[in-house]
Amino acid sequence: MATLLRRSLRPLRAFRGHPRPAADVPLRATSHGAGLLYPEHIPTSLVQKALLAAGSAGMALYDPYRHDMVAVLGETTGYRTLKVLRDQMRRDPEGAQILQERPRISLATLDLGKLRSLPEDSFGREYLRFLDVNRVSPDTRAPTRFVDDEELAYVIQRYREVHDMVHTLLGMPTNILGEIVVKWFEAVQTGLPMCILSALFGPIQLSAQSLQVLVSELIPWAVQNGRRAPCVLNLYYERRWEQPLRALREELGITEPPRRVEGLA
Amino acid sequence: MQHGVLSAGGHPTIKMAAPRSWALWSLCGRGWSPVLPGCRLPWLRSCWPSGPLGARPLSQEKRATETHFGFETVSEEEKGGKVYQVFESVARKYDVMNDMMSLGIHRVWKDLLLLKMHPFPGTQLLDVAGGTGDIAFRFLNYVQAQHQRKQKRQLRAQQNLSWEEIAKKYQNQEDSLGGSRVMVCDINKEMLKMGKQKACARGYKAGLAWVLGDAEELPFDDDKFDVYTIAFGIRNVTHIDRALQEAHRVLKPGGRFLCLEFSQVNNPLVSRLYDVYSFQVIPVLGEVIAGDWKSYQYLVESIRQFPPQEEFKEMIEDAGFQKVTYENLTSGIVAIHSGFKL
Repeated sequence: MATLLRRSLRPLRAFRGHPRPAADVPLRATSHGAGLLYPEHIPTSLVQKALLAAGSAGMALYDPYRHDMVAVLGETTGYRTLKVLRDQMRRDPEGAQILQERPRISLATLDLGKLRSLPEDSFGREYLRFLDVNRVSPDTRAPTRFVDDEELAYVIQRYREVHDMVHTLLGMPTNILGEIVVKWFEAVQTGLPMCILSALFGPIQLSAQSLQVLVSELIPWAVQNGRRAPCVLNLYYERRWEQPLRALREELGITEPPRRVEGLA
Repeated sequence: MQHGVLSAGGHPTIKMAAPRSWALWSLCGRGWSPVLPGCRLPWLRSCWPSGPLGARPLSQEKRATETHFGFETVSEEEKGGKVYQVFESVARKYDVMNDMMSLGIHRVWKDLLLLKMHPFPGTQLLDVAGGTGDIAFRFLNYVQAQHQRKQKRQLRAQQNLSWEEIAKKYQNQEDSLGGSRVMVCDINKEMLKMGKQKACARGYKAGLAWVLGDAEELPFDDDKFDVYTIAFGIRNVTHIDRALQEAHRVLKPGGRFLCLEFSQVNNPLVSRLYDVYSFQVIPVLGEVIAGDWKSYQYLVESIRQFPPQEEFKEMIEDAGFQKVTYENLTSGIVAIHSGFKL
């Protein structure tokens, strides 16, 4: 009898899995719909951020090719520093313009043809040369996900997209040694915990010779330039393509690197 | 009367004032992705009175074609595609993540499933949603061990092997599985690929077959298998009742249905810890190890959406199985449901 009753109720049971009310699961992180501050946003609790920071730091050390882990480390540890950076950008006229207009650097927004046609020693041409020689593309930056403020999410996105420009300004290639030097520069300039951690722990995998060069020449030079130069996030790079690189370096107070880094590490 | 036509994305797009036209409806049916689980009457589900026309009450029909994807609500058509994408993305790190997330306990659960199954040599097993082959490999190990034990017993009891068996042994033609076969069926190509690679790496060849198929519409004849298992797969199926009916169909009379799945925790303290762990730690693990937060968020949400033990037991009974029982493991984090086709 019970089986017959159950059989008759079958059509109603065809749609199972009524979503459980939110009260049942108090600690879940909302990933969809309400609560998203920007399209790629994933709201996270403090516990999740702490775990992410620790996990991404460990994974980045374990597997240096996981650039996404470095990015996640930056997002989860940088909240306070990003606020300071954002306020400092607001105070600077060019920086305030960047915050207002929110320019993005990607293959879609860059006019590569125009950049290629610029004179040889201009900033734009040198930037393009940097991309070609090191075989990198401005499109490999992952979108911000774990920053819980929409403007700060843009600030860290801008920091990531400007990273290649810093390489060009400093004349550093994308090998490990070059990246560490750039991280030292950025650590002094921005104070982001992720930069500081990368700068301190990145050299672990270097050979003794490279380490010696790094400590004796490159780091002092990077720190000196980092202190002297105004914040690189305040430069509206998209308007400075035609500016000669030498002039731009002089404006920022950046000197030539003490030695060529291409062959090392 | 105006009708709203749903595209595969689940949004009302075209509104026609024309009377029902079969050609148009069959067109929208064909426009959907081929990954759809057995959609027998796509045109019926695609056209219903559109919302923006006015305050139309949600009919029973409309609600029935929406389902859950984790805590999101999606149309049934979408769900199949989204689940496919999740498993396509997690396939490469699936086993590593299982070990990390369950701290290796999933191996114990799967071993317990095999112990419960207690297959003897000659069993024909169908492992649905068997992707990376964990159950299949355990089954092969189990029946091989059983077969060897049986042979040892025979020898010890002074039952000499027949000349055919001795000849076969020398020619290495003896079937070390004693006639057992396992068919691994999965809807996702990536998962099957991983499974095949694992089988090659571990040297499993005999008695193993890999089939691409949908749990809601299995590509097998009726009354074919002795045991049907589905481990951690049925909660991802869009129409669980259809999967259960298919299970009933392909089993031989006397065959057994076994389902290993996450279920409801019965202990309030464990439940609280489990929730914290699921929602705080698992997506983080997914991000750090596999670079994929969202897939693992979906996985933990889908566990919460699955019916509890008693309800699932009733669903199995509805499909025609008898002597349905369940056994909780690890305070109900996981449950093994068992039923027989008699």
